[in-house]
This record gives sequence, structure tokens and C-alpha cells, in this order.
Amino acid sequence: MAYAYLFKYIIIGDTGVGKSCLLLQFTDKRFQPVHDLTIGVEFGARMITIDGKQIKLQIWDTAGQESFRSITRSYYRGAAGALLVYDITRRDTFNHLTTWLEDARQHSNSNMVIMLIGNKSDLESRREVKKEEGEAFAREHGLIFMETSAKTASNVEEAFINTAKEIYEKIQEGVFDINNEANGIKIGPQHAATNSTLSGGQGGQQAGGGCC
Amino acid sequence: MAADNKIHFWRRNAKGPGSLQPIYGARYPPVDPRVLCSFLKDAPKTNAVSVKSKKPATFHEFARSTNDAWDIEDDEDGGFFPPLAHSTSVPAQSHSTVKASRLKETDRAADKEPEPEPRPGDRSEPGSADVCRDRPKTDGESANGRVVKSSSDVQLNSNSERSTLQKQQSLPMRPIIPLVARISDQNASGAPPMTVREKTRLDKFKQLLASPNTDLEDLRKHSWSGIPREVRPVTWRLLSGYLPANMERRELVLQRKREEYFGFIEQYYHSRTDEHHRDTYRQIHIDIPRTNPLIPLFQQPLVQEVFERILFIWAIRHPASGYVQGINDLVTPFFVVFLSEFVEEDMENFEMAALPLETQRNIEADSFWCMSKLLDGIQDNYTFAQPGIQKKVKALEELISRIDEDVHLHIQRCEVEYLQFAFRWMNNLLMRELPLRCTIRLWDTYQAESEGFSHFHLYVCAAFLIKWRKEILSMLDFQGLLMLLQNLPTIHWGNEEVGLLLAEAYRLKYMFADAPRHYKR
Repeated sequence: MAYAYLFKYIIIGDTGVGKSCLLLQFTDKRFQPVHDLTIGVEFGARMITIDGKQIKLQIWDTAGQESFRSITRSYYRGAAGALLVYDITRRDTFNHLTTWLEDARQHSNSNMVIMLIGNKSDLESRREVKKEEGEAFAREHGLIFMETSAKTASNVEEAFINTAKEIYEKIQEGVFDINNEANGIKIGPQHAATNSTLSGGQGGQQAGGGCC
Repeated sequence: MAADNKIHFWRRNAKGPGSLQPIYGARYPPVDPRVLCSFLKDAPKTNAVSVKSKKPATFHEFARSTNDAWDIEDDEDGGFFPPLAHSTSVPAQSHSTVKASRLKETDRAADKEPEPEPRPGDRSEPGSADVCRDRPKTDGESANGRVVKSSSDVQLNSNSERSTLQKQQSLPMRPIIPLVARISDQNASGAPPMTVREKTRLDKFKQLLASPNTDLEDLRKHSWSGIPREVRPVTWRLLSGYLPANMERRELVLQRKREEYFGFIEQYYHSRTDEHHRDTYRQIHIDIPRTNPLIPLFQQPLVQEVFERILFIWAIRHPASGYVQGINDLVTPFFVVFLSEFVEEDMENFEMAALPLETQRNIEADSFWCMSKLLDGIQDNYTFAQPGIQKKVKALEELISRIDEDVHLHIQRCEVEYLQFAFRWMNNLLMRELPLRCTIRLWDTYQAESEGFSHFHLYVCAAFLIKWRKEILSMLDFQGLLMLLQNLPTIHWGNEEVGLLLAEAYRLKYMFADAPRHYKR
């Protein structure tokens, strides 16, 4: 399927915060209450539309356990966006955000857009982290922030799409070197043929295509 | 004494680089004697397998020639080639809902029996392809009845296997098999009586097990091609090295080890809330409900507590690795097999609480020890940065580049890295790629094979990858290929497919382990 851009994402965060469930909700629009453990990394993809352009999201869902860190780290490089997830019902997952952020910043390209996500917003009665705390953390570290529920699908689309919008805007501003695939962005096949250099304003519905 | 024998045995068979020594297990899967002879000119006589040498040249020829295989009782059981997939048969009654443990691929779940045991009754079914059931791998071998040097030969072989599988998949719709057969290879009530062949096999096992000193080498030999359900628990205990070969000592050892395990529990389990163990415990506690999430048995608090104790004790006794996700899966086959001694049917919904406490404890302790033995052999999979896995994934890549260059180059062209899909294959020993019943069958062989979990597994992974050759080559981009590789459609797999896989893995190991570099393209 033709697309104007391909963005690569990585989903990170403590074990059990709902990373895989967010991905499943986003790609398959369903919720699986007990999900298999993610071992190493798993891959998912979906097409979205921004500004009338087809954008393909390729998403690496990573295992949260510390033991896998040496494997998962290598996926930061080559990601244009990261979803950093914590669980609003478990304070410790929020406390670990700083470590995650350091890890992400150290191993990713500097322009990577990071979306902070407080997941399980449906479990209001068990909430341990206030929404304001999430907002404050995001503000302090220059992240976008949302609370989501993979269970009810609340804000899930928005989380993935808003991240893409931010990346897209950065492309428009010329912040990203889109010819360097290490940035996690790839120009679609047709787009590449007509636009060797970036010009975001160009109308972008491509036909045909599909490539390796 | 038996233990001594074992040590000497492994030492004797220690592999050296470039050497072509007899490999343990060499006789048991059906290797074409011509291959054997050309490889092992100086092999001991016993390695020259006495097999009828009239090998058909094509699959169809083979199929025709074996069409009547079930009309007569052949004598192969007594020889070196026990049949591939002969544990139990499957009752043909239908069942309400089928929840597979790997729900990602449910579409074909009901299409096919996972235990495609050829039975006289089957043969009356229209289109029933008994012919490809028992020994299709012999056909695969015969296609390679010469020394294979090029990848095209290997392709030939995998092609014939594929056509076998395709044929099976086109079988008419069959009744959905009960869950219990799906999970544990069980023989539920109402199942047809055993075939004579199965009976002979079972008797052989019983005879070995009843001997005052079980000949472990012989037991391995027979176990390689699958252990009958009835004797699997005791055979696994023996093969894992948990139970001594000496009959008289067994009860004593069991008693002592079980006490030892519960001694650990008493001594350490309370420390799960301590500062330095809290994280380990919490991780395990989060992971257990996510272990076999779709099988009700594993959602019982009683069962989950068993898993938690086993994993916690193992973790704190192995600080070099600690608990790593994936290890939780490795308890399951042992637990299910040891539980199967007490559960006749519907294992998935069995209430653990119905068992006497003593029995529950024995299952738990035995699972702990057998899992520990397994992990002893693969601990570097789980130590810092998981070097064992890194090494094996690299070895897999190297191996595939030698045995099937087309597949290897295609994977490269799509920019898929082996680590992206094969990490899990190593970390969870393919348990996430196969239904549980297949894992149990696979482990029969892993425990029968020298270094089964640590070394032979690599060849099983290679055979597994090549099995999907056609599907892989049909994927034209990164996304399609990776999606395929992380959701391979094995939901309908049973003993037969695992048998084929193992035979191919065996062949690959035979050709490439220790093989001189000139086999490289």
C-alpha cells in the first residue's frame, strides 16, 4: 500500500503497564485482558492519515523487564517516536520514568518525539498517580502527555496519532533529516520519486507503490 | 554407576571441531543408511542401521508404497526406528469451544486433529491421507539419500515436506478434538483402543522402566521418537537426571529431593517480601497470570502459587541470571506432564484442589527439579545480556546461510534481522511458536538427545524456519515477513509435524554440526 511517509515507533516502559495492550488496541482495535508476556520485541504496524497523507506506522513493542534491556536498547536507534508508558495504578512505574527517559535519550536520535502515556485510566478507583503529576513530569521534560485506557480504547488512537503529528510537523519544519533512515522516517516510494528533497506542503496522495 | 556411565558416555561423544564422530542419537531417527555410511565410514557397526533399503524416489511413490502400511503389523518397532508420533490417539467426539493457547492464529484450529494418529478407523474416511502420516520423513530422507552439498538439495527436501503438509491441510474437516488432547497429548475416555504398534512400544518402555537398573541409553534411544503418555512422567524424571536409573533408589531419592525442595520453601520463600528479593517476586507475581493466559487450569490461584514458588526459589538460588521472563513458560510442560499422572481427561479445566495435598506437593517439587536440570544446561541464555541467546541466533543465521541461501538472502533483502524473530525462539525454546502439546512432544526428544535444549534446539529452529520457506519467499517486504515470522501458523500442529521437524533437524545437525567448512556455499 502506498504511503507518503513511514514512521518508526518504539514503546517502552515498565513491565505490565500495558504496552502490548496499547499496541493491540491500536493495530487490531481489540483488548485482551491477559496478554502473553512480550519477549524481546514484537512488531506491529498500521496506516494512519495526517494532513491528507497516508502515513505508515511501524511499531516496536518492547519487553519491559530489565533483563531484556540490552536487546531492546538497539531499537531506540532508528525510531522517530517513542511512547513511554506507565501505569496510573502503580506508583513505582511512574517513579521509574526518569531512568527510562535517560535510557531513551542516550540511545536515540536527539529529535525523537516522546509521548508520555499514563495507561489504565479506566481503573480510576485504583489510581496512584494523579493526572497532574503526569502532566508536570511531561512539561518538565518536554514530552507530550496523555492518559489512555487500552481497555476502553480511550485516547489510544490519539496517543499514536498525536505523536505522528508532532513528527510530521518536525518534518515540515525541516528538523528531521528524512534522507537518513536512522531517524526512523522513510519517504514513501512515490513520494521519493517526485520529491528528492523535502517539501512538506506538496500534495501527497500516491498511487501504486509498495516496496521492500 | 548409572551416573558414571552417563558421564563417560557424554565424554566419549564429545564433539571436536571438524571431526565426524558418531553423534549421540544418530541411530534413532530414520537416517538413510547410505547417508550414514558415506559420512561414517569408520562408524561402529551398530550405526549402520538395518533398514529395508528399498527407498522410493518420489513422494507419490512413497505414498503408494505405504498406502497399506496399516494393514499389516510391521516389525519396525523392534528395530531402531520407533515410529514418529505414537503416544495416544484422539477421541473423535466434538467439543464445545476451543481456546488455543496461541490465539493469534485461530482460523485453522479446528480443521485438523493435532494427534493425527493413524488408526484403522481413519482409513475409511474419504480423502484420509494416512499415507503421509507415519513416515513422511523417511521420504524426506530418501530425497537426500546422497550426501547433500548444495542448498538446492536441501530445498528439494523441504519441498517434499511441504507438499506433505499441504496435503494434510487439505484433509476434510474433522471433528474438533477435546481441549485435553490439545494440551497434553492425552487419551481421553472413549478413545479407540491402542493399536498393536502402540502397545508394543509401550511394553518396551515398561520393560525398560521396570528393570532394576534402567538402561538410560536405551531409554533415550526409544524416547527420541516420542514417549507414550502413560510412561512419560517417569521417563522424563529419568531422562532429566532427576531420578536415578537404579530402581531401588528411586523412591528414596524422590522423597529426599521433595523434602529438600520444601526445605527451600520453608527457608527462603518468606524472603520474597525482603528488600533485595521484592523485585524478583513482584516480577514473577505479575507474570504468572500471563503464563498460559487462556487455559483455565493456569488461572487457578492454587496453580499460580505453585508456579510462583517454583520460580522464586529457582531465581534466588541462581543469582547469576535471576528470573528472566520466558523461564516462567519452562515450568509448564513439566507441570502438565506430572499432573497428567493423576488426571485422565479435561486437563485444562482440572481443579488442582481436587488432588490430595501430598500429590500436589510432589508435582510441584518434581517440576522444580526437572526445570532446574533443564536450566542448568542453558543458563547462559539468561545471564546478563543473554550471551547464550545472542550466540545461538548468530549460529542460526550462519546455519541458514549455509543450508538455504535463498531464504537467507531474502530475509536480508527485506532487512529483517534474525534477532528480531529468533530471540524469542531461543528465549522460550519455541514454546511461544508451538502449541503446548507440541512442546511436550519436542521435549521428549530434547531430553533424549545429547544437549537437546542447548544445542539440538538450534537445528530445530533452523528446520522450523526452513519449514516456512515458501511463505517466507512470498513475503515481499519487511513488514509482511516479520509479521509472518512472529505469528507462524502452527495452531493445528501435532505430533506428526513435530516429528517431521525433528527428523529434519536431526538431518541438519548430522550434516552441519562439526561439518568441515567446505559445506559452506
